[in-house]
Amino acid sequence: MNGKAAVPAAVDPTSIPAEKKYPYYIERPVTHNRVERFLEAFAAILKYSDYKPLLDSYCTSSAKCNRCAVACPIFLATGNPRDIPCYRTNLLLETYKRYFTIVGWLKSRLTGGFELTEEIIDDMLDGFYRCTACRRCTRECPMGVDHGLITHLGRYILSLIGIVPKALQVSVREQLEGETHNTSKVPRAALLNTLEFLSEEMEENLGVKMEFPVDRPDRDFVFFCAVSDYLLEPDTLMGNAAVLYASGDWDRWTIGTGNYDGINYGLFYSDWHLERIIKQLVGEVTRLNGRRILIGECGHASRSAHDFVPVFAGGETYPVINFMEYTLDCIRKGKITLDSDIIDKRVTYHDPCNIARSGWIVDQPREIIRTFVKDFVDMKPSGRDNFCCGGGGGLVSVDEIHDFRMSIAGKIKAEQLRQTGAEICIAPCANCKKQLKELVEYYEIPCRVMGLHDLILKAIHIPGGKSPRARKEEAALFETNA
Amino acid sequence: MEQWINFAKGPLFALTFMIMVLGLLRLVVIQVYSILTGKGRRLQNAPWRKIFSEAASWVVPVRHLIPGTKIFSTVSYLFHVGVLAVPLFLADHIALWEDFLKINLPELNYGLADFLTLFTIACIFILLGFRIFSPRLRSMSRLSDYALLFAILIPFISGYAAHNPRYNPFPWDAMMLIHLLSAELLFVIIPFTKLAHIVLFFFDRISGLHWQLRPGSGDKVAEALYGKEARV
Repeated sequence: MNGKAAVPAAVDPTSIPAEKKYPYYIERPVTHNRVERFLEAFAAILKYSDYKPLLDSYCTSSAKCNRCAVACPIFLATGNPRDIPCYRTNLLLETYKRYFTIVGWLKSRLTGGFELTEEIIDDMLDGFYRCTACRRCTRECPMGVDHGLITHLGRYILSLIGIVPKALQVSVREQLEGETHNTSKVPRAALLNTLEFLSEEMEENLGVKMEFPVDRPDRDFVFFCAVSDYLLEPDTLMGNAAVLYASGDWDRWTIGTGNYDGINYGLFYSDWHLERIIKQLVGEVTRLNGRRILIGECGHASRSAHDFVPVFAGGETYPVINFMEYTLDCIRKGKITLDSDIIDKRVTYHDPCNIARSGWIVDQPREIIRTFVKDFVDMKPSGRDNFCCGGGGGLVSVDEIHDFRMSIAGKIKAEQLRQTGAEICIAPCANCKKQLKELVEYYEIPCRVMGLHDLILKAIHIPGGKSPRARKEEAALFETNA
Repeated sequence: MEQWINFAKGPLFALTFMIMVLGLLRLVVIQVYSILTGKGRRLQNAPWRKIFSEAASWVVPVRHLIPGTKIFSTVSYLFHVGVLAVPLFLADHIALWEDFLKINLPELNYGLADFLTLFTIACIFILLGFRIFSPRLRSMSRLSDYALLFAILIPFISGYAAHNPRYNPFPWDAMMLIHLLSAELLFVIIPFTKLAHIVLFFFDRISGLHWQLRPGSGDKVAEALYGKEARV
């Protein structure tokens, strides 16, 4: 692993301590000709995509100033130079420079220098999946090197030679080529059952009957959430539904049964899959003649739809709205009200990187929270400068690296969370929620992790339904009896 | 010696300056051409306002002084101020700009210019110290990262010595020649090293545009590698 030729010239191999590896399952491990196949895949990408100008620019001007290191939660946790974003990025840049530029080719003829080896491929398949693609380093790079984009590209090349965590590959295969067209393999019948169950739950809890609109054409909003929410986060979904009901917009939205999964792992590792999943999502909106795409509480589902529907949808583009934007709009217009006497615990908010790093969704959730939570405390740093939960970039779905996600990737987030002293942590993202729930258990932090709409569900005034206070008393009674 | 100095101040200066300008121009033209032809209509989708505001945030990067980088970043920033201000606005240089480029720049008074020169030299030594003594920074530093600091250091030291004879133990004309030649060497290497970030700074920052991936490219890549029946 630490052979001299295996490490790009920028790094002195002797300065790098060995680190513990956290291997992930690969469906059909590739054992031969990886270098040739890697270069072949890289060449195909350069031929048909337009990464070249960016790589040329990065190769020339990357300053190796190391500011990215102190922005990276992984490096801050390990202190290992292999976890410096620039080190990882350099693996790919050196490969590009050596095999796809004249200068690199000449240099190799004259002085030898960098050669792509099996060991470097090992370094990449490890390094690109130690990165959570949170892009915090990008914000702090004076040159603007987007290490997240390089991680995406590195993973894309690796995926084309069969190196991709099995958990992601199997999910994407089901979503694109399976019968259910979703990552959790939830069949249509199970979805309908879940919606019926949620409807009954809401009737019991809120005191009003609301039947989830399914496959209704010509609606303003076609709703997509991380499909796993239908199985794991019923309170988030009921919170979403409660807002739509209370705002009087119940007849303006629908869930499509042709495609009901907002998850897009293509964002993390493949342009090919990213585009196909976006087209699938857009196809469903077109089928239902919807006008806008409403994404539930999921960071990467929101970002992939928001950023890539305009890129891949061709002529049929639809505005993409994150549910928190919709809820805030309802509050501002006075369409819904939240009872500020219901939540009496200290609350903090975790910014999902995929919606916060760009500055898209930062103030909206805080404005919502401040309308009904008296004791809100922000993490430091937060907003665009937040630290990743440690499960970003699809890592949260890779169960076999749980130890890495807990002891390394999520270490700083856990510390941040503990310092707030909050009893409730809002994480409006399916991935962050799962990771944070595991983190609080691992680090024994007395904090409950939930979605923003889980909390809204408790405090929202439902026209014609039970008051938030009555619901709170019922819940307290239930807990006492239990 | 005077002839050498005149040669270095005249034709050699013009030649090396042209190499720098054309070299940098080449980089800009390649970038602009590949982006325009590659991205086409997707240029409109890029978050330009964010891109520009992010780039602008580095003009006075107070917000970017995060823990662990405060001293290095402050020194690095001040170094950039000196490295731009002294060559551009020193009175002796202004005559050169006027001769060759026919532009009139405001001039720094000699006292301030001397101070800025010494200050920049000090910054270079501090940055060098970081690269040598900080294990984190050392682990990422290439030979060129050290060499370039020296390449910038020489014209500053020789310029200061030539300008302040009482601190100059060597003949003035030798020092002036070293100053001219080292500055001209810098002109030549700028377009071919990381110093090209003079112009690539902006192109590095447009990853928001580069995330506007090319539609259909994924299918073509998969087909090229695995044929039309490519599967996940």
